[in-house]
Amino acid sequence: MASHADTHEHYHQPGLQHQFEDMKQQEESVSIGMWLFLVQEIMFFGGLFTVYLVFRSKFPIAFAAGSNHLDAFWGGLNTLVLIVSSLTMALTVYYAQRGNRNMQVIMIVLTMLFGATFLGVKAIEYTDKYNHGTIPVDGWNKKTKKGEKPEHASIVLPFETKVSAAEAKPGAEEHPYVNERGVFQITEHDLELVAQEKDTLTESERIGYYSGDVLDPAKFRDKIRIFFWIYFVMTGLHALHMIIGLGLMAWLLWKAWTNTFSADYYMPVEMSGLYWHFVDIVWIFLFPLLYLLGRHFLH
Amino acid sequence: MQNADVIGADFPKEPKVNYLTNGTTLKSWLLTKDHKRIAIMYLISVSVFFFMGGLYASAIRLELLTPESDLMQSGTYNKAFTQHGILMIFFFLIPSIPAILGNFLLPIMIGAKDLALPRVNLLSLYLYWIGGALTLFSLMQGGVDTGWTFYTPYSTTFSNTFVMAVGLGIFINGFSSILTGLNFIVTVHTMRAPGMTWFRLPLFVWAQYATSLVMILGTPVIAITILLLAIERVARVGIFDPSIGGDPILFQHLFWFYSHPAVYIMILPGMGVISELISNFSRKKIFGYEFIAFSSIAIAVFGFLVWGHHMFVSGQSIYAGLVFSFLTMVVAVPSAIKMFNWTATLYKGSILWDTPMLYAIGFMGLFLIGGLTGLFLGSMGLVVHLTDTYFVVAHFHYVMVGGQVIAYLGGIHYWWPKMTGKMYSEFWGKISAMLVFIGFNLTFFPQFILGYQGMPRRYASYPEELQVLNIFSTAGASVLGVGLLMPVVYLMHSLFYGKDAGDNPWMLPGLEWRTSSPPPTENFETTPIVTWEAYEFGEESGLDLEEAKRREAITTVR
Amino acid sequence: MSDNHDEHQHMNIPKYLGIFGILVVGTIATYFAATIDMDWIFPGANTLVALIIAFTKMSFVMLFFMHVYWSSKLIWLSAIASFFWLAIMFAFTMQDYVTRGTGIFSV
Ligand code: HEM
Ligand SMILES: [Cu+2]
Repeated sequence: MASHADTHEHYHQPGLQHQFEDMKQQEESVSIGMWLFLVQEIMFFGGLFTVYLVFRSKFPIAFAAGSNHLDAFWGGLNTLVLIVSSLTMALTVYYAQRGNRNMQVIMIVLTMLFGATFLGVKAIEYTDKYNHGTIPVDGWNKKTKKGEKPEHASIVLPFETKVSAAEAKPGAEEHPYVNERGVFQITEHDLELVAQEKDTLTESERIGYYSGDVLDPAKFRDKIRIFFWIYFVMTGLHALHMIIGLGLMAWLLWKAWTNTFSADYYMPVEMSGLYWHFVDIVWIFLFPLLYLLGRHFLH
Repeated sequence: MQNADVIGADFPKEPKVNYLTNGTTLKSWLLTKDHKRIAIMYLISVSVFFFMGGLYASAIRLELLTPESDLMQSGTYNKAFTQHGILMIFFFLIPSIPAILGNFLLPIMIGAKDLALPRVNLLSLYLYWIGGALTLFSLMQGGVDTGWTFYTPYSTTFSNTFVMAVGLGIFINGFSSILTGLNFIVTVHTMRAPGMTWFRLPLFVWAQYATSLVMILGTPVIAITILLLAIERVARVGIFDPSIGGDPILFQHLFWFYSHPAVYIMILPGMGVISELISNFSRKKIFGYEFIAFSSIAIAVFGFLVWGHHMFVSGQSIYAGLVFSFLTMVVAVPSAIKMFNWTATLYKGSILWDTPMLYAIGFMGLFLIGGLTGLFLGSMGLVVHLTDTYFVVAHFHYVMVGGQVIAYLGGIHYWWPKMTGKMYSEFWGKISAMLVFIGFNLTFFPQFILGYQGMPRRYASYPEELQVLNIFSTAGASVLGVGLLMPVVYLMHSLFYGKDAGDNPWMLPGLEWRTSSPPPTENFETTPIVTWEAYEFGEESGLDLEEAKRREAITTVR
Repeated sequence: MSDNHDEHQHMNIPKYLGIFGILVVGTIATYFAATIDMDWIFPGANTLVALIIAFTKMSFVMLFFMHVYWSSKLIWLSAIASFFWLAIMFAFTMQDYVTRGTGIFSV
């Protein structure tokens, strides 16, 4: 909301727009408007979650296998990073309500810092996917010839997933990583998982993974690819929302810097806060649903 | 403005500054925050899309004059009906009543100076323009041929037309509709004038409110669906193409989750207009106000539970089909409630046969047929025979054209004097209303029979036995076309040569008739205080009853 | 406006930190819960637990960070309604998939 209004006879206060009688009416309208915007955001992401729900319930093992390629350490770290940024965002509102300019500025800067950290970690993860051939589009992955040494973007960390840890270990040289055309690839571990869970497969899995009675790696790969497609769309859209959020924060920073907000006028801070928290909430669900869903299959 | 106690047909002696004359530069229009100016800009742009959609319709009907596909090849024909559908549904019908009449009237009807979020309103107009321009541009580049439903995997994998660009246009336009809905809900909650309680709101406002609920809850889902479709088209992998493990029926679920409720975006506002017209032109308090108000909300809610009736033969499970079929029957109840209440309102009313009322009566007949044939299509057994035939085409044209378009025209005629301050020719108004009614029936009634006889939709050719009815249909379309073009002429004419309408030409009590025509930028000179119930025609309303009687005597047929 | 001014009294820094602590604990709990195999209870038990924790975390964020707790009924309503509509979308889509039976259409 802009901080000025057209000159008008009802001009009582800075920040009051001409169509309203008083600040209370304006604040009410703006906050209902923001909440309705969030409702539409929820339905927007809701479509994605429906897609997730349908495919996950059709192909649970493929999803578990795909999920085990994700790095729960980075995912978990990012969850924490976002939670901290949510705290600093909440504190921004708190200080804006008290008209404390300096603390507002500090909190906004911190929020932006954590937001940027989140995006940085996402970039690391995406690079890792690129290096390991798990970007679902053929040709969009790193192309490695026979004999070339694969690079591992991620270091081996305590929570590193079993799959990528196995690959990263020195012994992994037995299965040299070759991907000449940068296609989407799955590993033997994934196929092992189907064998391990053979007795609990659903009807659609039995049709979806097998040709007749034999496990068909190509068909199974297609289902894991669907997991990664959903992963990239969901996290990508979430990251886009983060970027928009950072834009909002930059604007807020400038406003706070010029001392715009006070106990009487802090709606822009509060509204941006709602948006930021919403983006955090989406991640709260994405983390377990994408990163952790197959974890308990690893024995 | 009028004398505070009595409102009547006041003819202003000297022109006052109104929203049209307050600033005449292009900038004062393009950067306006006035809901009335935004509505006028919507009126012009929506009419352009209506006209373009109409051109495609004429092409389709011409092609179907003969059994062979001679005028167009099948490929061209596919593009023609697709583009007709996309322009009419997304760029004409959905914004028509909400963005034009709703924008103009909602704040006035509740006694507010403007919508709660005027800048958001302007933004939604711009989004509409951007989305529309993108769509028009891609239509000129070669267009799309997927049908307005964009069914996968044809749209993701096989069609090599401009699916992406048009999809993006619809995506952007969707946010225009979301923002309009958001704005309306906020406005109704926070901007009502003192004394304007929820149950004093005109039913038009209730209808807009219900529509807005659907816009906010449904439209984002079509947005994400189109986005997923687009990503799949670019990446050539995805979730809808069965050859790589995807699920085309999931697309249909997501698409119809929005698009069935969207048909209520396309009828609820019309129902709101009709409630206004029926009550005001019978000079009788509407029968069962609460029932009509809540039936709008009920339609908005239950409308979300029936989408599967578009998928009976798609491979959806029989059990789901049963549930959706049953709920489809249920959702017809609130619409029926409205029909009964309107009829009861007409009973013993003193009916004024002005042009808007002709449209309203036409609506009741046509929507009745449209709604009832919807029930045929909602019965799981019968639909196996009828689905994807011209029966469906006739059904949805009866509700969309016979319902919403007729209501829209009725509304435009009804509020035209308020919007422009000028009165159009009543004679030509009546002629065009009747031409539209006759032309419409002649066009679409034969299609019920054609469909029943098995003529499939979306084909450029058909068996020779069916030609007679198709000729009727094309002939009817010409009459309909003339009927629809006439208002453009006499309404434009009225702008320059029409007589001044006065503030309250119909002698009605609603708030919009208590300000000058055209209204000033801030709508009312002082914030009105509402002390009367909706649709009050007696002493309490403050109407000049003598004057109202005199008017009644001229136009009533008993 | 007075409502908003009252709200100043509801939250203070220790309370914000408390909520933050709950969220951190929730995150860690999610991770470890996911490593335990709960399929022996019923298939999908892990997911259920993960979702319960996520819902709890979300509730804390919404109620306190987003101040829903002190907000008007309308805001409560819109928050609840959006989840209700999500539930409609999930339930009515899934009622199709879970009742497909066997055969060619079951995929
Ligand atoms: C009384 C309420 C209604 C019922 C029970 C009903 C029922 C149905 C059913 C079952 C179908 C699917 C037919 C098929 O494809 O086999 C259908 C199609 C359609 N209906 Fe309705 N309907 C109703 C009202 C409306 C309204 C108010 C509108 C729009 C204003 C509308 C617009 C449409 C459209 C556009 C289609 C065709 C969609 C397509 O496949 O392209 N309907 N209706
Ligand atoms: Cu429908």
